[in-house]
Amino acid sequence: MDTNIKILIVDDFATMRKVIRNLLKQGGYDNIVEAEDGVMALSELKANKIDFVISDWNMPNMTGLELLKAVRADGDLSKTPFLMVTAEALQNNVVQAVKAGVDNYIVKPFTADVLNEKITEILAKYKGG
Amino acid sequence: MKFDNLLCVINEVASDFLFLDEKVIDIPTAGKFLNQLEKIIEEAQAKKLDALKRVATGLNGILEKIILNTIDQKEGCNILEAGITTMQEIISSYENTGTYEGNIEDFMKSLRDTTGIEGDKDTVSDGAGRLVEEPRDIGIRVDNNPAVQQEDSPVMEGRSEENDPAQEKSQDVEEETEEKFEIQDESLLKDFIVEGLEYISEIEVNILNLEQSPEDKDYINAVFRPFHSIKGVASFLNLNDIRDIAHDLENLLDRARSGELSVSSILIDVILDGSDILKEMIDSLNEVLDGSRTQPLKPDLSELKSRIQNIDTQIEEKGEVKKVGTILVEDGVITEEILEDALHTAKEEPPKKIGETLVKKGKATPKQVAQALRKQGHQIADASTIRVDVRKLDDLIDMIGELVITQAMIKQNPSITDTTDRKLIGDISQLASITSELQRTSTSLRMIPIKQTFQRMARLVRDLTKNAGKVVAVEMEGEDTEIDRNMIDEIYNPLVHMIRNSVDHGIETSEERVKAGKPEKGLIQLKAYHKGGNIVIEISDDGKGMNKDKLVQKALDKGLINSSDGLSEHEIYRLIFLPGFSTAEKVTDVSGRGVGMDVVKQAVEKLRGKTEVTSSEGKGTTFISCFPLTMAIIDGMIVKVGHEKYIIPATAIRQLLRPAHQAYNNVVGKGEMLNVMGNLLPLLRLHDVFKIEPECVNPWEALVVVVEAENRSKCLLVDQVIGKEEVVIKSLGDGLKAIKGVSGGAILGDGNVGLILDPEGLFQLSEQ
Repeated sequence: MDTNIKILIVDDFATMRKVIRNLLKQGGYDNIVEAEDGVMALSELKANKIDFVISDWNMPNMTGLELLKAVRADGDLSKTPFLMVTAEALQNNVVQAVKAGVDNYIVKPFTADVLNEKITEILAKYKGG
Repeated sequence: MKFDNLLCVINEVASDFLFLDEKVIDIPTAGKFLNQLEKIIEEAQAKKLDALKRVATGLNGILEKIILNTIDQKEGCNILEAGITTMQEIISSYENTGTYEGNIEDFMKSLRDTTGIEGDKDTVSDGAGRLVEEPRDIGIRVDNNPAVQQEDSPVMEGRSEENDPAQEKSQDVEEETEEKFEIQDESLLKDFIVEGLEYISEIEVNILNLEQSPEDKDYINAVFRPFHSIKGVASFLNLNDIRDIAHDLENLLDRARSGELSVSSILIDVILDGSDILKEMIDSLNEVLDGSRTQPLKPDLSELKSRIQNIDTQIEEKGEVKKVGTILVEDGVITEEILEDALHTAKEEPPKKIGETLVKKGKATPKQVAQALRKQGHQIADASTIRVDVRKLDDLIDMIGELVITQAMIKQNPSITDTTDRKLIGDISQLASITSELQRTSTSLRMIPIKQTFQRMARLVRDLTKNAGKVVAVEMEGEDTEIDRNMIDEIYNPLVHMIRNSVDHGIETSEERVKAGKPEKGLIQLKAYHKGGNIVIEISDDGKGMNKDKLVQKALDKGLINSSDGLSEHEIYRLIFLPGFSTAEKVTDVSGRGVGMDVVKQAVEKLRGKTEVTSSEGKGTTFISCFPLTMAIIDGMIVKVGHEKYIIPATAIRQLLRPAHQAYNNVVGKGEMLNVMGNLLPLLRLHDVFKIEPECVNPWEALVVVVEAENRSKCLLVDQVIGKEEVVIKSLGDGLKAIKGVSGGAILGDGNVGLILDPEGLFQLSEQ
C-alpha cells in the first residue's frame, strides 16, 4: 500500500482535523495537508498535486458537497479520490454526495481501521479502473 | 421513436449492470445509477409512463438503501436486476406497440416485501431522487449500518442506543461513564476544550444576530455548524453527554433551517441555555485535565431535554425582533402607511426585500436602509485570520519589550552618545525607529475588537431584563474598537456591574416609562472609542437618571459627607462611588448583592483606568470608563529619591509642584501636611517609606508629586523628577508578589531597574 500519497483533510474544526490526522497516522499515512473550508481546499488542490481528499460536509464559505462538485467539474482534478465525512443527522445528504460522484463516505465517529479500509478500497479502484 | 432517450438510458443502465464486477455496487456506481434513474423518472413523468416511473422510483429507493448499507448487497442486486429487466420490457413494449399491458404488480410486491419500499408512492422519493420524508429516520437507521457496527473498537462502544430519543439514551450513557472517565488523548482534549469554547462564544454571538433576523438562514447555519462540529469531535473523544446535547440542539436548528420550526424566542432561549450547559461541561474538562475532578461535569439534563422535546407545543411569545421596516418607522424615515404599502408590494412576485422595495419606491435612501440593517445587528466576519497560541504571542511581545529596552540602553551608552561617527548615529536612530514600530505592531497583534465583550453584555441585558419585567434594547457603537486581549477579561466584571446598575436602577418598568412619556422600550447604549492611548467605554441608559438632592441626602444620612456646600454637580454624582453608598432601596437579585459602585471604581482603578458618571434626572445616566489599551506598558513618571529611581503611574498623578515654605505644616496628631491650592494634604516622604538617604529633606527644597488613589490624595516627597517614559511592566515574581506599595518593576532606558509604585499600597503603608 502506498502510504506516501498526499492527503488533504478539509474541516473547519481544527480539532477534528487533528483527529483525522492522528487516525491517518495510525494507518501509516503522514503526507498530510489541511484546509479550513472548501474554498481553501480548492486552491490547495489547484496549487499542489493532491492524491486524496477527505472532506467534512458542513463548512462555512464552501461546503463539502460544493467542493466535491467543483472538483468533479474541473478537468484536471476530476479524477481525485474523494471521501466525504458525515454525521448521522446529515445522512440524507449522502445520496446527494453519491450523485455528485463521491467515492465513498464515512460516518463520525470512525476508527482508524474503518478509515484506512475505505481509503485502501478507493485507491484500489482507481488503480484498477 | 419518441422514446429514444428513455430507451437509450435504460439500455445504458442495463449494460452497466451487466458488466458489474461480481455484482457489487460500490458508491460511485450507485451514484451513476442514481443519476440515470433520475433521468428516467423525469422522462417517464413527462411522457406519463406511470408504470415505468413507479419501477424506476422503486429502484431509486433500493439504491439509496444500498448506499446507506441498510440492505444486503446481494438482495439489493437481485431486485435491481429484476427491476432493470422490467423497465426494459416496459419501454420496448411502448416502443413497439405504443402501450404497455404487462403487469408490474409482482415486481412491486417483491420490492415491498423485501425492502418495505412503496415504489409508487412519493414517500421515498420526490421523483427527483431526493429523499423527502425520511431523512431523520434514515439517519437513525444508519447506526445499525453493518459496516459501522462490526467495528467494536473502544471508540464505538455505547453507540447503538441512538434509536431512542432522550431517556433510554441518557441512562445508558450514564452507566457507561460513571464507571470511569478515561482521558484518551490529552492533547486532543485540550484542543477540543479551547476550540469548543471558542465555538460556543461564536454561537452566542450568532444566536443574538439570529434573534434580530430570524429568517436569515446564514445565521441559522452559523449557529448550527459549531454545534455540529462540537458533536463530531465529542463523539470521537467519547464525551457522550456533550455529544448528545450538541446533537439535540443541532437537530433543533436543523428543523429551524428546514422551516419546520420557527425561530422563536423560546427556541433561542433553549439554544442559549443549552450552550451554557455545554460550556460548563467543556469547562469542567479542564478540571479533569488538571486533576481537580475525576469526571467531567454531569449536569441534570432532563429539564433541557424535555424543553427540547416539547418545543413544538410551547406557545410562542410575540417576536421581539425588530424588522427593518419597523426600525425605519421608528427612525422617522417612513410612516406606517408607507411601510404597509411597501410590504404589500414586496410580497408580490417576485418577492423582494422590504428595503429594496422602499428604495425602489423612493421612500428611503439606500443609506437609510443600510443603517437600519446595521441596527439589526448585521456583522461582517473577517476570514483572513490565523489562529496563534496566546502564549507564543505573549512571549513575542515580552521579547520585543526586552528588545526595546536593550535598544534604549545601547542608545544611552556613553561610547555611543559621545561618538562622532555619523554613520553609526544614523544607524542607531534607524534602529530606534524600527524597534518602536515593531513594538507598536506587536502590541497590536494581541488587540482584539471589543465586540465580543459588548455582545456578552447585550446577552446579559437580555437575561437581566427578562427577570425584571422590563423591555430594553441594546445599541452598540464602535464595537470594532480594539483592546489588548489580556484586558478584555479584566474589564468585563466592572462593566457588567455598571450594566446591572443601569438595568436595575436606571431603566424603569414599562408602565413607569409610558407614564413618563417615554417609549415603552428602554435603551442601553454601549459605546467604545480610542482616546489618547486609552479605550473609553460609555454605558448609557435612558432611564430615570439620578436625583441630586436624594444623593446628597443619602450621603449625609450615612455620614459620608458633612455638608453639601461647595459640591459641584460632578462631585455629587461621584458620591455613588463612595464606600458604603448604595442607592438601591431594596436588595435585588440583580445588582444589590452588597457590592457597591465603590468596588467597581476600585476595580477600574486597579487596571489603571478611571470611571466617571454623569446623569440627567428623568433622562438617564452615563458611565464613562477609561482603560489603558494594554496592561503591558504604562506611562510613568520617573522620579529619583537618593540614588533610587521609581516609576509613578501617570494616571495617578494629579500635580507636580515645589511647595512654598509657608505651605508646610506639621499638625499635631495628623502628621506633616502641605497646603496645595487650598487643600491640606498629608505629606508622605518616600525616603522614609523605603528607608533611603535622600538628597533633600525639606519639602520646599525638593519636589512634591500629588497622587490620588482610593478617592484620596497625598503628596509624595521626591528629590528629582527625571522625566516621563513608557515602560514595559515586569512582574517581580511570585516571591515578591505581596509587597505593599510596589506593583512591579521595569527596566529603565539607562539599563537600571526601577520599581513601579502603587499609590494605594503606599497610602496603606503610611497609615500603619
